Amino acid sequence: MSAIVTRELGKVYRAVGRTQMRALEAVDLNVREGEVYGFLGRNGAGKTTTIKILCSLLRPTSGEAFVLGENARTRKARGLIGYLPEQPYFYEYLTPRETIDFYARLQGLDAAARAREWEKLAGMLDLRGIADQRVKGFSKGMRQRLGFAVALVGDPPILILDEPMSGLDPLGRRSIRELILWMRDAKKTLFFSSHVLGDVEQICDRVGILVRGRLTHEGRLDELLGEQVKQVEIIVAGLSPEAARPLAARAVSHRTLDELDAFLVDGQDAANDLVRAVHGAGGRLVEFSPVRKSLEDYFIEAQEKDKAS
Amino acid sequence: MNRMLAVARNTFRESVRDKVLYVLLFFAGVTIFGSKALGWISIGQDIKIVKDIALAAISLFGVLIAIFVGTSLVYKEIDKRTLYTIITQPMHRYEFILGKYLGLMGLLLAVTAIMTGVSAVYVLLLGGGLDAMFFLAILLIYWKLLLVTAFAVLLSALTSPILGAIIVFSVYAFGHATGVFRDLPPQFDGTVAKQVLEIAYYLIPNLSNFDIRAEAANGVPVAPAYVAWVLVYGLAYTAALLILAALAFEDKDV
Repeated sequence: MSAIVTRELGKVYRAVGRTQMRALEAVDLNVREGEVYGFLGRNGAGKTTTIKILCSLLRPTSGEAFVLGENARTRKARGLIGYLPEQPYFYEYLTPRETIDFYARLQGLDAAARAREWEKLAGMLDLRGIADQRVKGFSKGMRQRLGFAVALVGDPPILILDEPMSGLDPLGRRSIRELILWMRDAKKTLFFSSHVLGDVEQICDRVGILVRGRLTHEGRLDELLGEQVKQVEIIVAGLSPEAARPLAARAVSHRTLDELDAFLVDGQDAANDLVRAVHGAGGRLVEFSPVRKSLEDYFIEAQEKDKAS
Repeated sequence: MNRMLAVARNTFRESVRDKVLYVLLFFAGVTIFGSKALGWISIGQDIKIVKDIALAAISLFGVLIAIFVGTSLVYKEIDKRTLYTIITQPMHRYEFILGKYLGLMGLLLAVTAIMTGVSAVYVLLLGGGLDAMFFLAILLIYWKLLLVTAFAVLLSALTSPILGAIIVFSVYAFGHATGVFRDLPPQFDGTVAKQVLEIAYYLIPNLSNFDIRAEAANGVPVAPAYVAWVLVYGLAYTAALLILAALAFEDKDV
């Protein structure tokens, strides 16, 4: 079964005295159970709007959204989702222990279950050291950790995270990345939005790219990026500087690494030609590595294509 | 119910941290203790004056607290984005609204109890006596506060705190003078203004029904049937306003 499905999802913001703003247009998403899905787009592309519709904070103007087959507007669907908003805010005067207890109460858990929930989440997210400190003085990283804990209250099968790494330092980003991978190992479905492409590339099974309210690309990372080998790095040994010079002229770049020569060549055909020339010049192939298009390249291309159209 | 109570508990804990509350309580205290000054100029009537002013203070400052805290209740949650993680829990939105309302009810109960305690001790220190009528008057004031709070919560789900406060305060003021809308001079007969004001007369609750201050200060008894009718009247309005608040919040984009 699909974890998240949207059909022709659209949202138009209307405000009195202002022009309408179309934030989403016919978005068809299909997130499978147990996968990590990266939802990409620039600021204002409609990522948060989509997420808010999935979490029933917003009502779609058109279309529908389903969570494990349940209409996203139902209470049952909300019970299947753990939601981490962008820069989560909690009651400042509560402590993490009280915050978790509050959300566990909202989930309808009894006292014993609430205590167990705290023990589990405090251990998982390293909250014990700050258990009884007020949220008021918390750093962004600490709030994010607490936000994660809140999203996990009740052990929901789906986690929806809105820009979970935004505003965090590299260490904070790494810990969130690890948490996401941990959740994936725990067989949870993760749907998260981001514009930090490096993070997405490292942890996502599939991505969807949203450009000005429309889902322009969706697929597995290797499907989107895999076949399009852009450049090839060829490392060879046994070439004299004289023999390397004409070969370097055929490459995009050339550098020497101790006894080795590294060439960067545009395209697979040019790379094969260069390898033949290396053999002809008495060299030996050490490494042949295709440099795939990065997600960032793909993302920028998608934006530019849209702009051109 | 448990979810509502969890929201109510938090609302209470949050609102007791609101500084406006303490400023208003301070002025309520000043008014209650200052009532003696007016008592001096009305020889022999001082206890009656003190009771009358104390009841007026409980009513006015209670209403101000209900308006200031009530109209920002939901708005603040949206503005501070604390709402996002709450209404995405497996709960109904009306549970959130009613929980907020219950929390505020608790706050007003505490505030009314404090002002009642201060007034009662002051009257006793001045050598006056307290009777059931005094406390009955306070019960009706509290009942009125519950109605005003329900209206404040409705507006909190619809508009900004400032606009909400202005509207609630206007309705509060008109609510004490609804008779004016009905008993118009004959030259209004047949005009649109008369029809509009007549509708307003039926829509706006008659808040003076809750006012038995003069009877309480003077120890004049009030028929139990009247009190029962006022309690039902207040409950009906409050329930209607809360249903509207829940409906307004149900489909609200946040």
